[in-house]
Amino acid sequence: MLASQETGLVIVVALVVLTLTALAGSHADRLSGTAVNNFLNSNTLIQVATDASFFAIMAIGATIVIISGGIDLSVGSIYALAGVSMALALRALGQASPSTIVVVGLLTCVGVGLLCGVLNGMLVVGLRVHPFIITLGTMWVLRGIAFVATKAESILVPFSLTSVTKASLGLRGGLYPVPMLVMIAVTILGTLYLTRTVMGRHIFAFGGNVEASRFAGLALGRIQLGVYAVSGLTAGLAAFLGASLYGSASSGDAQGYELYVIASAVVGGASLIGGKGSAVGAMLGALLIVLIRQSIRTLHFDQNYEWIVIGCAIIVAVVIDRWSAGVTSRRLSRSSAAPATGGIT
Amino acid sequence: MTEPTVRFDHITKRFLGVQALDDVTLEVAAGSCHALCGENGAGKSTLGKVLAGIHSPDGGKLFVRGREVRFNSPRDAFAAGVGMVHQELAYCGNMSVAENLLLGKLPRRRGFVDRAPLDQRAREMLAEIGAELDVRAPMSDLRIAQQQLVQIATVVGAGADIVVFDEPTSSLSQADADRLYELIERLKARGVTCIYVSHRMPEIYRLCDTISVLRDGRHIATRPAATLSESELVTLMIGRELGDYLPQGEERGTGKELLRVERVSVPGKVRDVSFSLREGEIVGLAGLVGAGRSEVAQAIFGLENVTSGRVFVDGEPARISEPKDAIRLGIGLVPEDRKRQGLVLGESGLHNTTLPILSRLSRALFVRRREEETLASTFFSALRVRTPNLAAPVAGLSGGNQQKVVLARWLAANSRILILDEPTRGVDVGAKAEIHRLIRDLASRGNAVLLISSELPEIIALSHRVLVMRQGELVTEVPRAQATQELLLRLMAGVELVPAA
Repeated sequence: MLASQETGLVIVVALVVLTLTALAGSHADRLSGTAVNNFLNSNTLIQVATDASFFAIMAIGATIVIISGGIDLSVGSIYALAGVSMALALRALGQASPSTIVVVGLLTCVGVGLLCGVLNGMLVVGLRVHPFIITLGTMWVLRGIAFVATKAESILVPFSLTSVTKASLGLRGGLYPVPMLVMIAVTILGTLYLTRTVMGRHIFAFGGNVEASRFAGLALGRIQLGVYAVSGLTAGLAAFLGASLYGSASSGDAQGYELYVIASAVVGGASLIGGKGSAVGAMLGALLIVLIRQSIRTLHFDQNYEWIVIGCAIIVAVVIDRWSAGVTSRRLSRSSAAPATGGIT
Repeated sequence: MTEPTVRFDHITKRFLGVQALDDVTLEVAAGSCHALCGENGAGKSTLGKVLAGIHSPDGGKLFVRGREVRFNSPRDAFAAGVGMVHQELAYCGNMSVAENLLLGKLPRRRGFVDRAPLDQRAREMLAEIGAELDVRAPMSDLRIAQQQLVQIATVVGAGADIVVFDEPTSSLSQADADRLYELIERLKARGVTCIYVSHRMPEIYRLCDTISVLRDGRHIATRPAATLSESELVTLMIGRELGDYLPQGEERGTGKELLRVERVSVPGKVRDVSFSLREGEIVGLAGLVGAGRSEVAQAIFGLENVTSGRVFVDGEPARISEPKDAIRLGIGLVPEDRKRQGLVLGESGLHNTTLPILSRLSRALFVRRREEETLASTFFSALRVRTPNLAAPVAGLSGGNQQKVVLARWLAANSRILILDEPTRGVDVGAKAEIHRLIRDLASRGNAVLLISSELPEIIALSHRVLVMRQGELVTEVPRAQATQELLLRLMAGVELVPAA
């Protein structure tokens, strides 16, 4: 069910995986003594998926914003504020049962994220200021609040959270698939939201042509508010996973994540003009960026080259995507040159 | 016989699998006004664009003044004295008239733009075509007709003596179009060769001395205008006899009142407008551009800030503060600017059709897709929308088919009160006749139609009565029996009001 738009991306991801596998070399497993590929092993793969999961979850939110023709620069700060809010709330809660801690933690994180998103949305709709400016402002304000609230300290979160996020779910060898599973779940939910719900269709129309959407009677303010709320929500969810995985939260968390997130969305085929993008694309985009980062480690390149490589990769990925989309549309128009009516193909 | 100014020699051009031009050979005589006619998609604009250097042909040769030329860009064509006036005007709205006129060759002094010679040169270029405009005004402050003058001045003032006009009147009012005709006649008198792409009969016969017809990318015929009758021309264009090209509408009984508008005002745009629409009735709304016709339509649809007045639907007072309210009450608006206001061009025909009624088609937030497809395909086949499939983006459809998608939207939404703002603008002859038939059909099924059009023959042929607006006010109502083009024009312009008979 991959749209043609994502096929190119899948091929690129596959190529990177194959190249890394071929070039990574192998080491002997400590227990069994069999040769294990330095890249293609369950530990590294789950590590890549875990690293990608935070970006991917937020990139799906960002994609929804970008489809509407907007932008959200504040997701990194929302992540930090949601994380420290949870840590502070749980510290205030003190002793409680593990399930209470998880529920309170999750609700705090997601709630604060949602609230920040709604704030962004209300400012964008109410003040009629470009979302770039609004979220640039809230990016600093929200991180500032997190900074003030924690006095710049890192705050530990209860271990019961970590045990949920790092649950092995029956896998052996210290693997923890929960972040990856959450990423997959969010991708599925995001896809359903965008392609099957009324709201999702309204977002595409809004981003494709605001004026025509107004003439079609859509509630424009509500659509805009909604996309920023969803973006904040995904940042809150990512913060929950992040803080519980690493066992602490601080106001300095997720610095610069907004750019990784937007890059993931754009590499995943979202158009900054609006009207185009997909949740699967965003997930693949995040995966690709993390893979490229991983490749520097796996192939023992100088870490200092990371940003240069990622920067180039983003531009190359978008150009390839545009080119393959052009090829596809040409192929489509050739096949549709024959007259036909009705029916969906 | 003199050397033709332009000669297309076996020109072919393909776009993404579509044969846009197929072995076209034709000649344009020096100093003539040569019409290129055909339905939308016939290739007439493409041929004009080949001459103007916008498209380079895949095959064949192009000769200008007897010499073979190969244009790789509009710049090349321009250097050879060929310019084009586009259907959709392209300009930088934030820059001044003078800057737009001389964009690309702004006079410079030490690297800075030199204002005085810029304005001077711009005034000269405008004077060349007898136009007077404030050269320092930002382009976006100009009316469409004035923007077009700037474009013509850009081309002619820079010395082009072969000018391609691509449907130049498609967004002009009658009065502005008349002024444009006079300008073209003046250009012709000066020896400028005009190539006039259009499918509007009256203007073709008014301006052109030779007519070439294209159909499906092929050259069908070239005849002197004097020997080609209007009906022959239509037949050539569509390749079949068109029984009733624009027949007179018949008087028919109308039912109960569906919409009543009482003293509606929109500050600065519409003053005290009152009228009503009945079941089965087509009411024309005529007026010059800027008379407030579209504003009335948009006020009823909840898009304008209505400060006073009331609207009744089915005799009940209606509160319409946004389009959603209007849609719920069964009002549909086919807006003036199809591409900007009507459609989300990148989205499919299916999605565009059901956009306003998605919540009606959904269960627990999810769109019921089977039902949606059934609904859309019902109306697509009823309106004969020609599209490869329901999922094809509407950007790829012809103007007529795009317009049918907008119409299908309101039929699918069960609208009984249809406000059609320029429903046949930029639509080819065949689709136009279909849309006319459709409008009649809609009325005969008990819908009420408010028809806004700048084409008076269209209003006269379709309407049961005609409302005339001038400067934001409704000046009068003319019953169909008395509606003539001349009377309506006088009323619209407010000159020498003939006393009612």
